Amino acid sequence: MKISRDWLQKYFHAPLPSAEELADALTFHAFEIESVDPIREPAASNGAGGDWVLDVKITPNRGHDCLSYRGIAKEISAILKLPLTSDPLDVGLTKSHMLEPMTDVVSVLIEDTGLASRYIAGYVKGVKVGPSPEWLVKRLEAMGQKSINNVVDATNFVMFNIGQPLHAFDAAKLTATDGSYAIEVRKAKEGEKLLALDAKEYALKPGMLVIVDKNADSPIGIAGVKGGEAAGITEATTQIILESANFDGASVRKTAKALNLRTDASQRFEQVISPELSGFGMRAAVDLILKLAGGELVGFADAYPKPPTPLQVVLQSSHPTRVLGTEVTKETIRDVFTRLDFSYEETDDVFTVTVPPERLDIQIPEDLIEEIARIIGYDAIPAIQLSTPETPVAVNTHFYASERVREDLTALGYSEVITSVFADKGERAVINKIDSFRPFLRTTLVNGLNDALKKNVQNKDLLGLKEVKLFEIGTVWKEGKEEIVAGIVTEKESAHEEPLSMYMKEAAAYDTLPLSETQRYQTFSRYPSITRDIAMWVPGGTRAEEVEAILKESAGELCVRIDLFDEFKKEDKVSFAFRLVFQSNEKTLTDDEANRHMQAVYDAVDKRSWKVR
Amino acid sequence: MERGHIHPISSLIREANQIFSGMGFTFIDGPLIESEWYNFDALNVPKDHPARDMQDTFFIKDMPEHVLRTHTSGLQIRYMTEQVKKGILPPYRVIAPGKVFRNEATDMTHEAEFFQIEGLAVGEHITLAHLKGTMTVFFKEIFKSSVEIRFRPSFFPFTEPSIEVDMRLTGGDAPEKLRNKWIEIGGAGMVHPKVLENCGLDSKKYQGWAFGPGLDRIAMLKWGIDDIRLMHSADLRFVNQF
Repeated sequence: MKISRDWLQKYFHAPLPSAEELADALTFHAFEIESVDPIREPAASNGAGGDWVLDVKITPNRGHDCLSYRGIAKEISAILKLPLTSDPLDVGLTKSHMLEPMTDVVSVLIEDTGLASRYIAGYVKGVKVGPSPEWLVKRLEAMGQKSINNVVDATNFVMFNIGQPLHAFDAAKLTATDGSYAIEVRKAKEGEKLLALDAKEYALKPGMLVIVDKNADSPIGIAGVKGGEAAGITEATTQIILESANFDGASVRKTAKALNLRTDASQRFEQVISPELSGFGMRAAVDLILKLAGGELVGFADAYPKPPTPLQVVLQSSHPTRVLGTEVTKETIRDVFTRLDFSYEETDDVFTVTVPPERLDIQIPEDLIEEIARIIGYDAIPAIQLSTPETPVAVNTHFYASERVREDLTALGYSEVITSVFADKGERAVINKIDSFRPFLRTTLVNGLNDALKKNVQNKDLLGLKEVKLFEIGTVWKEGKEEIVAGIVTEKESAHEEPLSMYMKEAAAYDTLPLSETQRYQTFSRYPSITRDIAMWVPGGTRAEEVEAILKESAGELCVRIDLFDEFKKEDKVSFAFRLVFQSNEKTLTDDEANRHMQAVYDAVDKRSWKVR
Repeated sequence: MERGHIHPISSLIREANQIFSGMGFTFIDGPLIESEWYNFDALNVPKDHPARDMQDTFFIKDMPEHVLRTHTSGLQIRYMTEQVKKGILPPYRVIAPGKVFRNEATDMTHEAEFFQIEGLAVGEHITLAHLKGTMTVFFKEIFKSSVEIRFRPSFFPFTEPSIEVDMRLTGGDAPEKLRNKWIEIGGAGMVHPKVLENCGLDSKKYQGWAFGPGLDRIAMLKWGIDDIRLMHSADLRFVNQF
């Protein structure tokens, strides 16, 4: 969710800290921040007049309340202990007064309250649709939204502010019967289509929830996703019917996915929001529209068959201490609940919290413990070691056998590879592999080992190996079973494998086997190497290391490897034979280049009167 | 005879087992084709959770409700359920290193096949502070450097509270690139009471934590490996460096 610091500031009297500090506050107490981007240069050198947008990663459990400025403002208020100037969900009106007056000029019918738990229609007439004021255009721009007109912009503003998606219909484009309108929320019928506000026509499937002009029995919107062109707001609109409703999240998600149409509205319904928000959203939208577009509120119709009862969660005051491993006093618990604006009752050693309706994520005591932990901050958690174990651990027979195989084979010069489980053929397959390349699960390690052998034989010189010997311990699926096998391949022995079970035995303890002592990995060149051998007579007593050093120096940087591969004495002379491997990090070396470097080596050998053979 | 080389991931698993068995953690393993119950449902992951989408998870042909495991977390469930059936109640301490699968496109830092190490400690008095302590010991040993651990808020369906673990190497001989920088390690948290109940444990009596960092990532940090695809390359120019 993009959060403009300027917009957020409106919730607070006290000046907010810098965007970076806000980002840190959220990172360590609520949400990760993807980025902090300036969107308006400060007018003054002290940073005044600038605006920044924080891209906040709202976790899936907080989509209910934090895909909104109000939600984030409440978080900042709790984290930084800054009081809010006002809360849009605390308008000083009781719930029933908020949606006054009622009217029967619009009626609402919900066909399946399982798919729509609330629908409020608000009827305003005499509006003047026109451009939005500068402040509103700027606000929407910060969210990456274009201004459309004052009515539509007002609904989008309220959605971002409170988290309640809203929609506006042009009432004159609906069918009136006896002077009244009827909105129905029902499942689409076979063959129904909707030309949406994005000028695309969508084929609706039965099961998708739609908003319908009941008197004409024709869809005017895809519930929770997008409105229709037919009743869209234009410059000519003077009467509007506002929608503030609650649609089932799973249904909206399926519909949006099937139509390939994800919107800010559908995103919020998918996360599931409280039907209590509908009332606040409607009130805020009406107030704003009357201010921006004039007009007169006729009234509301609210279909809200089953308002949820507030949830109470009971927390033992000792529980947070027990879970977090650091003392959490009752004082701290009270403080956190107050900062989060949770109303609670305290008796002896028990807190009973009445969960705010929009905090659908708070259901069990552990949810409250998480609130306490994150608000006080995880820095408060000390690092304490577990108690010393009483008995030695039982040995895992699979792992023990694998480790024995590893040790035995590496002692014999085999190196371990890990290859993909995916193959060109097999008994089992996955059904949804991207690019459908090798969707089968391997029945054997043999093919992977053979490929690996071929690849590595090419690099023998580079690796300084006389023979490539490989092994793998991995899972295969054959004869209807999943099994761990150990496979080997060498240049002399064709690839074959045995079940790991052959190597399994009881063991009381693990052997202490060697770990890699490598400090750092060195990137290697992907270009082919060139090998040159040189053999020479040197006076008896000359050390091989001495000769190698001379060769290394004269061969230059591109010589990546020198190995002594033969030596023998004859009378008072010794013959050394070395293999030199040349390779560049930037390109494929040519024979000519290799020859030139070898010439430098011959010259150096010559200078010492060593005789090249 | 010149010795061959074990794969760096194997060295890391061997080392992790040495460190954790010293702290009383048993090494457990399980099948790569896992039931949706162990991989998702028992872990409190709802049926319509995005992770269960075709995009993220490999489903098995002709084997409904089975997937290539997307994490080693399902092994927590297998282990605890088995122990309870045998009448063995907590304390439990287990690690489960192994290969996991995500239906993702491959690039320098992402692979469809990679390795994870799951850790679980459950008992009557296992706290979040013990998680911080255990992570500190583990990474200090792995990186051979003094280490600071910090937690940030996060969310997973199977833990509550849920956290992200960051690590900072502060020792003088820590690699230049990593020294004193906060590095993301992976997610963790207190096991969700529903998960304990799904295994047959009384969540009012027992509590504990689980963590599950990626081993490829730890290997890449430890050794400065720049491309995760090297792990499955079967290239001795890579393996023989370890």
